[in-house]
Amino acid sequence: MRGSAFSRAYGQFIDEWLRTLVPDPDGVAVVAVGGYGRQELCPGSDLDILLLHQGRKDMGQLAEQLWYPLWDAGLQVDHSVRTVRQALSEAHTDLKVALGLLDARVVHGDVTLGESLAERVRAAWRHDATRRLPALDAVTTERHAKFGEVAFLLEPNLKEGHGGLRDVTTLAAIAAAGNLVESDPALDQAHATLLEVRVALQRVTDRRSNVLGLEQQDDVARDLGDADADVLMRRVAGAGRTVMWHTDDAQQRVRSWVAGPGRRSAPGEAVPLGHGLILRDGDVVLVDAHLASEPATLARVAAAAAHAAAPIARTTQRDLADQAPVLDTTWTPETREAFVAFLGAGAAAIRVFETLDQHDLMTRLIPEWAAVRSRPQRNAFHQFTVDRHLMEAAARAETLTRRVERPDLLLVGALLHDLGKGYPGDHTAAGVTLMETITTRMGFPPADVATLVQLVRQHLILPKIATSRDLGDPATLRFVADEVGDVATLELLYALTEADSRATGATAWTPWRAELIEDLVDAVRATLRAEAPRRPAAPPIEPPTGPPPAQPSVAVDGATVRVVGRDQPGLFATTVGLLALHGQDVRAARAASSPDVAVAEFDVESLFGAPVRASEFEAELHLALDGRLDLGDRLAERGRAYARLEMRAAAYIAAPLVIIHPNESPVAAIVEVRAPDGVGVLYRIARAFVGAGLDIRLAKIATLGHEVVDTFYVVDAGDARRPSADELAGVESAVLKALAPN
Amino acid sequence: MKIVVAIIKPFKLDEVTDALRALDVSGMTITEVRGHGRQRGHTEVYRGAEYTVDYVPKVRLEVVVDDPDAQPVANAIVEAAKTGKIGDGKLWIMPIETVVRIRTGEAGSDAL
Repeated sequence: MRGSAFSRAYGQFIDEWLRTLVPDPDGVAVVAVGGYGRQELCPGSDLDILLLHQGRKDMGQLAEQLWYPLWDAGLQVDHSVRTVRQALSEAHTDLKVALGLLDARVVHGDVTLGESLAERVRAAWRHDATRRLPALDAVTTERHAKFGEVAFLLEPNLKEGHGGLRDVTTLAAIAAAGNLVESDPALDQAHATLLEVRVALQRVTDRRSNVLGLEQQDDVARDLGDADADVLMRRVAGAGRTVMWHTDDAQQRVRSWVAGPGRRSAPGEAVPLGHGLILRDGDVVLVDAHLASEPATLARVAAAAAHAAAPIARTTQRDLADQAPVLDTTWTPETREAFVAFLGAGAAAIRVFETLDQHDLMTRLIPEWAAVRSRPQRNAFHQFTVDRHLMEAAARAETLTRRVERPDLLLVGALLHDLGKGYPGDHTAAGVTLMETITTRMGFPPADVATLVQLVRQHLILPKIATSRDLGDPATLRFVADEVGDVATLELLYALTEADSRATGATAWTPWRAELIEDLVDAVRATLRAEAPRRPAAPPIEPPTGPPPAQPSVAVDGATVRVVGRDQPGLFATTVGLLALHGQDVRAARAASSPDVAVAEFDVESLFGAPVRASEFEAELHLALDGRLDLGDRLAERGRAYARLEMRAAAYIAAPLVIIHPNESPVAAIVEVRAPDGVGVLYRIARAFVGAGLDIRLAKIATLGHEVVDTFYVVDAGDARRPSADELAGVESAVLKALAPN
Repeated sequence: MKIVVAIIKPFKLDEVTDALRALDVSGMTITEVRGHGRQRGHTEVYRGAEYTVDYVPKVRLEVVVDDPDAQPVANAIVEAAKTGKIGDGKLWIMPIETVVRIRTGEAGSDAL
């Protein structure tokens, strides 16, 4: 017999036995408590038994009749003898007793007496929930920290671990207190799996063990009819994750509920997040359920929830589970950007990822993900299942995005670098094919796909070479330089290596190892730099020839806004500001000017639906350039409405970075800006240049998911020459100040 | 009995391990360490600013052997770990009072 069938049969056997031990149960009740009460006994479980009475005189003798045979049989008995009043008082002060009594089941004797205790314990638990639930939350969190995660540990503790059987009991206790958690068949299934494995473990080891050790995994798999230990551990990981997710979700709801409405956003108040999403009562909600069937929605919901560090509303989870399409054709740029933005939320994305996993939604985005879902890596090196390792690697990569030119490639590369582990053969070879297929489908251009493929192919080269080859030997550096190709790829590989190692476990990224790898990267970088000078300075767009128009003209083509005008200071900044005022988010821009004519193209995305109307926009642009429309005031007002959202996001994202290259171009100073995306970011940067007396000659603006990656070529606004070091001195601080939260 | 302790360059570990296997050395302990000898680390240029790395990554290797085996083992390590450049490391030999195999309680040479 396995699992719950065994537990029930064993429980019934004990029940029968106890009945024979107390032949005269007048005025007493034998009450099964805890796991025995729930009918979840495993071969090595303690028997929790309460002998309940109303003041019978011979209780001492009765108790001896009951306990001695059990002890003599070698069973571990957790016993107590109490009146109803004593039991209630004990439950009031001791959380563990209260939890045990929530599962009280009368085995023998005075049923009315036993039932009345059970009823009063449950009523007290509900009544006292604001005190009991935080206490339960605290011991649960402490236990999780102590025992680790069932889903991910090499040798999980099936009972006490995070996602283990004790969490199932905890969830039941939270449910018993009020309307905070919902039942879910997936949770019941996970519970059954864990119970079945624990019964088998204790049978195989003949002990009271709850830790599924590496040594026992083969025997337990055999006992349960699993093909091998990998199959068993994948089931355990899947079940542990389901229980863990439900527990985390319940804990979050308990905290929010205990904090009360004052600490949440006011009931009914909705903060718009764009694209039909709002933040309501602390949850990210998709207002119109029909949007769930649109390809970009799933990634947008994930990105919004991760950046707001808020859970996805249950209704929205269900809408997505019901309707989100499988993305098996080429992604739109919106979907790709939203997905990269999701990954760019870093550690905050992991919780959202687990929510997606509960509904098997990652496979809607990337069907190939199914092969690594909850797949264990049974070696002492790895801390996580393959899928969680990949997500952890992406989250750690987020902290390193400032080190690379292309944060989007780093994040996607980190997420997919080990996908080959779900497929037969060498995982790098399989990963190369998968990376090419998936990132092409995501809509990355061929050059980017090639870089991503290169990342998978070489993702082990740095640690391998750094620890096994002579870094002082030019041949070593030559070899790595040839394999890697260029500095940009080297920086990506370096960041990927660190993210991958940190996501693997504590032993994979020691200071010792980090230093060897850093030495290798420094040396290879120097080798590559010596061969290839950086930065081609071709204008991102050709300025038109001929005389400039008297007034700037505006043309709109789909989501692209093109402005052509006389080269005047502030044209770029004013246009950008006006776009922000129109609710247009600038995703990319290209600007250039000849001595007379300036042109700028903006790829925009409307946050709230309405497209740009060229004639209206042109008229307003003329007013603003003449100083008859004050953009600053109106944008500040708009900015305040969003300040709250930006603040939330800012907690998870690296601070802005400004790098100035005064001498790299003969005609202009180059300013690179990296900053988290937000309302009016580009306008603020552009205004800072105007304020510093600089004119933008060339601009290359990109938004890669959550991150703004901008390069400006700036000249002195007065004489159009390359600014001197003095003129550049205050630029960095001016831009940083402009980007600082208001 | 003797313990042979060697500090070597990390990338030489594989060659040293092979050399010791050829001598039928049954066990060894490896530690990732940092240190410096006479060369006092090395100087690097990072973003224009020169700074000195005080300690460089090394591998520490420990082998316990019977007295007559100590010198051949030492020779094998020296030969395999040598590049001829600065930072190749050091090796020293020390006497050992006794050794116990924890699992069985065997002591002395039997425990090797």
